[in-house]
Amino acid sequence: MSKQFFFFAATILLVGFFRTPDLFADESTDESTERQFTLKVLPLLKDKCLGCHGGDPSDLKGGFSVLDRESLLRGGESEEPAVVPGSPDDGTLVGAIAWEGYEMPPKENDRLTDQQIDLFRDWIRQGAPWPDEETQAAIRDAEAQRRITDDGMIVRTSGGTSEEWTNRRYEVEDLWAFLPVKSVAECLPSEIDRNQAIDHFINRRLDEAGLEAAGPAEATDLIRRATYDLTGLPPTPSEVDKFTKAYQEDSQQAWEQLVDRLLDSPRYGEHWARHWLDVTRYADTGGMSNDYERSNMWRYRDYVIRAFNSDKPYNEFIVQQLAGDELADEAYRERNDASQEQVFQAQLDGDYNEEEAEAIIATGFLRMGPWDNAMVDADEARQMYLDDLVNITGQTFLSQTLRCCKCHDHKFDPIPTRDYYRIYSAFSTTQMAERPVPFLPEEDLSQAASGRAHVQRMLDFAVKEKNAILEKQEAAARAWYDEHELPYKTENERKDDPDEMKPPRHVGLSPTEQGQRKVREQDEWIWARRLERYEPMAQSVYNAASFDLSWNGARKLRIRRKQNDGAAPKNHILLGGALTALGDRVFPGVLSAAALEVRDDADDPYLLPGKVAGRRLALARWIADPDNPLTTRSIVNRLWQFHFGRGIAANSNNFGAKGAKPTHPQLLDFLASDFIDNGWSIKQMNRRIMLSDAYRRSSVVPNQKQLASVDPTNALLSHFPRRRLTAEEIRDSILAATGELVQSDGGLPVMPEINMEVALQPRMIQFSLAPAYQPSPTPDLRNRRTIYAYHVRGQADPFTELFNQPNPNESCELRESAAVTPQVFTLLNSDTITDRSIAMAQRLERERDSLPEQIHRAFNILLLRAPSQSETKRLGRYVNEMTVYHKSVDPKDAEYPASITRSLVEEFSGQTFQYEEILPVFESYRADTKPDEVGPRTRALADLCLLLFNVNEFMYLQ
Amino acid sequence: MSVSRRDFLYGLSASLGSVAFTSMLDAEEVATSPLAPKKPMLPAKAKNVIMLFMEGGPGHMDTFDPKPELSRLHKQESKLGFGQEKGFKFFVGSPFQFRKTGNNGIEMCDQWQHLADPYIADELCNFRGCQAESLNHPEALFHLNTGSRLGGDPAVGAWVNYGLGTENQNLPGYVVMTELALPQGGPTNWSNGFLPPYYQGTRLRPQGSPILDLASQSFKSREHQRRALDELSWLNEQHLKSLGETDQRLLARMENYELAFRMQTEVPDVIDLGKESQKTSSMYGLDDPETEVFGRQCLMARRLVESGVRFVQIFSGGWDSHDYLERGHTARIKSVDKPIAALIRDLKQRGMLEDTLVIWTGEFGRTPDNNKRGGVYSLGRGHNNQAMTMLLAGGGVKPGVVGATDELGSAAVECVHPIRDLHVTLLHLLGLDDNKLTYFHGGRFKQLSQFGGEVIKEMIA
Repeated sequence: MSKQFFFFAATILLVGFFRTPDLFADESTDESTERQFTLKVLPLLKDKCLGCHGGDPSDLKGGFSVLDRESLLRGGESEEPAVVPGSPDDGTLVGAIAWEGYEMPPKENDRLTDQQIDLFRDWIRQGAPWPDEETQAAIRDAEAQRRITDDGMIVRTSGGTSEEWTNRRYEVEDLWAFLPVKSVAECLPSEIDRNQAIDHFINRRLDEAGLEAAGPAEATDLIRRATYDLTGLPPTPSEVDKFTKAYQEDSQQAWEQLVDRLLDSPRYGEHWARHWLDVTRYADTGGMSNDYERSNMWRYRDYVIRAFNSDKPYNEFIVQQLAGDELADEAYRERNDASQEQVFQAQLDGDYNEEEAEAIIATGFLRMGPWDNAMVDADEARQMYLDDLVNITGQTFLSQTLRCCKCHDHKFDPIPTRDYYRIYSAFSTTQMAERPVPFLPEEDLSQAASGRAHVQRMLDFAVKEKNAILEKQEAAARAWYDEHELPYKTENERKDDPDEMKPPRHVGLSPTEQGQRKVREQDEWIWARRLERYEPMAQSVYNAASFDLSWNGARKLRIRRKQNDGAAPKNHILLGGALTALGDRVFPGVLSAAALEVRDDADDPYLLPGKVAGRRLALARWIADPDNPLTTRSIVNRLWQFHFGRGIAANSNNFGAKGAKPTHPQLLDFLASDFIDNGWSIKQMNRRIMLSDAYRRSSVVPNQKQLASVDPTNALLSHFPRRRLTAEEIRDSILAATGELVQSDGGLPVMPEINMEVALQPRMIQFSLAPAYQPSPTPDLRNRRTIYAYHVRGQADPFTELFNQPNPNESCELRESAAVTPQVFTLLNSDTITDRSIAMAQRLERERDSLPEQIHRAFNILLLRAPSQSETKRLGRYVNEMTVYHKSVDPKDAEYPASITRSLVEEFSGQTFQYEEILPVFESYRADTKPDEVGPRTRALADLCLLLFNVNEFMYLQ
Repeated sequence: MSVSRRDFLYGLSASLGSVAFTSMLDAEEVATSPLAPKKPMLPAKAKNVIMLFMEGGPGHMDTFDPKPELSRLHKQESKLGFGQEKGFKFFVGSPFQFRKTGNNGIEMCDQWQHLADPYIADELCNFRGCQAESLNHPEALFHLNTGSRLGGDPAVGAWVNYGLGTENQNLPGYVVMTELALPQGGPTNWSNGFLPPYYQGTRLRPQGSPILDLASQSFKSREHQRRALDELSWLNEQHLKSLGETDQRLLARMENYELAFRMQTEVPDVIDLGKESQKTSSMYGLDDPETEVFGRQCLMARRLVESGVRFVQIFSGGWDSHDYLERGHTARIKSVDKPIAALIRDLKQRGMLEDTLVIWTGEFGRTPDNNKRGGVYSLGRGHNNQAMTMLLAGGGVKPGVVGATDELGSAAVECVHPIRDLHVTLLHLLGLDDNKLTYFHGGRFKQLSQFGGEVIKEMIA
């Protein structure tokens, strides 16, 4: 692929850009003013004023138009001229745009800059000339020939919907992400080793800013930082001891060994997969009206974990997620010398080897968005899906927000709406499906039998209840037919009979029974569907020209091959994003501004193959090309962000003009090139970053005052940023501290105990209420790591939600960590935290005898240090006094109901009706130890543990 | 202590760094709570909002917008080509009779007994010109609540708190009450979206704990809690000292524990309806099982606004009458009629109505026709994004009827406005300019109306 098409080369940028020879030095003032008007003033008028002061004469605001010179001279309703040629201060226009007098344009963020206002002044001072259309066109044409001027650079793209957009200019610094990535040799002085590169770039900027860097962090802070960073878990006290000793002997060696040990831990993949799932929006359900379960979505979750643990090269990771199904087809074809028919048959049979299965599972990425076509036209539902694929692909792999270009050419970035629809077209043969894909040996199915029995029981109950109601109805129907001396017909048979020839709808049923029938019918559906959890299927996609979507299509999406599938759909630019407003025809293609050609065709090198199959794979390979500057910068920037809490470019989903600029552009390019040189290895990059001095700095700021004025956001990384633990880290580390955490190898999602009020709280879905949340029956399932929990879009675990686990409907580039009050309630008062504090107290009592030893042990486990004397003394007194308190109270027994009564307002009657829902999991539930099961002394010790779960020292990492 | 405490109430957390950078707030204001009261941008007519959301979409022709023509066409075939229903369709006349109430031309069906009192009706503005976009519940709910069909943008209440702050720092500034079941789309309807989390709606739950885990475990007394907090704050102070620097986030987190401790008494206090007189309770219908749930929430709404909560929202479900319209709407109207009338009367008598804007709305209106269900003429209606009906009262709203729908009620034809204009008008009444109430996110300054809108002047007194 050639980069010649992209005009700007680094040399031009460095040498020629800021000193453009003035080609127009000889022209007359008139000509120069006309140019100025055509190129600068007129576009501003159009952009800022025309919306309200142009177009339909009846709709003009204030009767004022900016469409021509005459209108400006005349002015609006006020009958004062807006422009008086020669004297800028006499007309109303300059005052209005300067917000003196009128405030125009009225939106704060549309206001003109002083420079822009001066352009108007100059133009009026020179007589406000308004050249005719022909002259304007000539001026614009001449301008379009000049690629770089003082006003910026023209970017060659596939072309906008207007010539003005196509030929518009960009500030060069806004285009940083689209420029070719510099090689290591280009950004790193030859005397500096790659191992030193990060510190070279970071220290250079600190020196320039005159900022003092913090010294190295303490050994304990380092092991805590590294262990959380790579595994999301705390180090154990013995790991801390071992490390601090080794660190004293040889700090460099100890550190390298620590990083390597952690990178090799299976816990690494569990933690780093979570980062990726934030971006790709992992959930086990489909969201929206029905929030249907997407059974076996966990196979994608485990795929991502395996990918990180095995250090799958990132380029393979990209291609598998975007087009693993096509890879599987190719492999199957080759392996069996198969015909197209046989490839299709293999898709239906799921006849794949492990490698192929793995690749298909990876395409779960393409099924991650919230989607349901209930009450949505089929075309529109299809559009929702394809828009989602374009957006998520842009954000995830290219760090581009493409959503804007659904309706128009990008306002700030060189992305024409044509490119949006080219990528849309690349996905337009992608069809959603749950596909048969054999389970892999590493996929843990040990829970399947007990899980299936539970689901079957729920299903049987729903069916039994439904049948009882139907029998009652049909008995009444029979009676009606007898009474009318007509032969009995089943509900289905009589459906189309005229009203007088059949019993009324819901005959024989009370309003309550009518409501119950609907609920049971929904339940039957829901539980029958959940049986699919245990089938060898994967949430995936396949290629076909079309797919006939039924009204409740989200319930069941299977491969359906048509005899005559026909040609791929014709795609157009959809003007304003409307399905009916067809613009130019488009074909599959890529982002042209990235200047990475797909094919050797001077006219249009950015088009992908156009057949039904293959277009998506070609797109994936274009994204995973080592010369794609967006892809490589995107991933190393994310990796950097996960280590430091902030990307080198701070908006890791948006490298456009409105995203933050990189603080260390050379470092970013170095990392991107180094990443490719190391075979797209993520672990190598983790290691590279963690072995830097910058990563090992203390969090304590040497000079707070200086920092506040020079670098208040710590963009220059003079110290290591302190951060709050994430939702998963909080839950997992508390479980680790209490000794309850159960390590596992993934598999079917587990249901941790969540707040019971929320678990049992009714939740509306289309036509009914969703079934209650039933936690897993035993602690060894419930107390697995949070990444293995069942993620329901419509029912977040309030604990993880409060601590900012992101809403899976949007790609999350960076987690929030603001402290809000409800966090306090859950961390002090919830059943979950109370149970953990009891478990921790029991552990302390098991492991140590005396109170001071127990306090010491608690500090050791949670804060990785010994308590001070005053801490031991004061907290010892606290525990003793609380023991006295707890002797005077009598905690209640915890209750887990085996069934509950639900109320629902019936749509038909507007009245509330009730029904019973069974919760069989609680019949033989192994609950955690509750406060009433332990003595006052244990509860008092638990009070202390609770405090330690709450302290800043535990909640923050430094 | 109290002054410095106020300074870092809620704190300068990590996300606030970016707020300071990108928001309209100036540096001085950031130093105080993001929820501290702020002066409106424009002269304001309303200070607070109570929004009554009828989830499911009430039929405008079955509540406040009579369509006699529909009764004439009852059960005749309809060829209207819109809505989701396909196949054979027939017109459905309203099962209710209508009459004019009060002196401002407000019309109501006969099921509205209490709202029809001229003392109440004369405060009402009935807006018939609004048009939704989506035909599906969650998207339409999102649109009305957040300005975007997609869900995920900040809710109106979040924007209002962002613009005005709230008066009582011991209570959330945006409170949401729902029935036991959450409305479709759930908390996305009261999300802070891309605004900082301080602005998200806090849901007071109708049963059990009003805020999850608000109360201590039952075996831990308030003194026990106080003691634990004292120990905790001592530990945190030791830690802070050992760092030798001030990290605002750590201070903010410490302060949160104190705020939480105050909220633990303040919230139960404000929602304790035992403090209301018997007369007030029965005015809101608390003594009748059919009106109790909504009545309780309306009374709570008044108490919350009185205590300085900026924006209160109540969701009442069950209005999605595709069938058995008469039974459905009769029961739903009964459940809200008396409580709403009581709320307006109560606000009026306490002099609160003039600066409290009350809004009654669904997410869209209904179609004049329906299709068969199970082969039977089902007397109900489909979803309609071309016409709907709303009531507004107080807060600078002009009583009377604004806008009109066509003679079948299929589409708004007079004073037609998209939802964004309603949002702009609502902000305007609160002294906020939608074009200036912006937040930089995702590459551009965003606003409630998405791309601007116009004030519906006809609705303003």
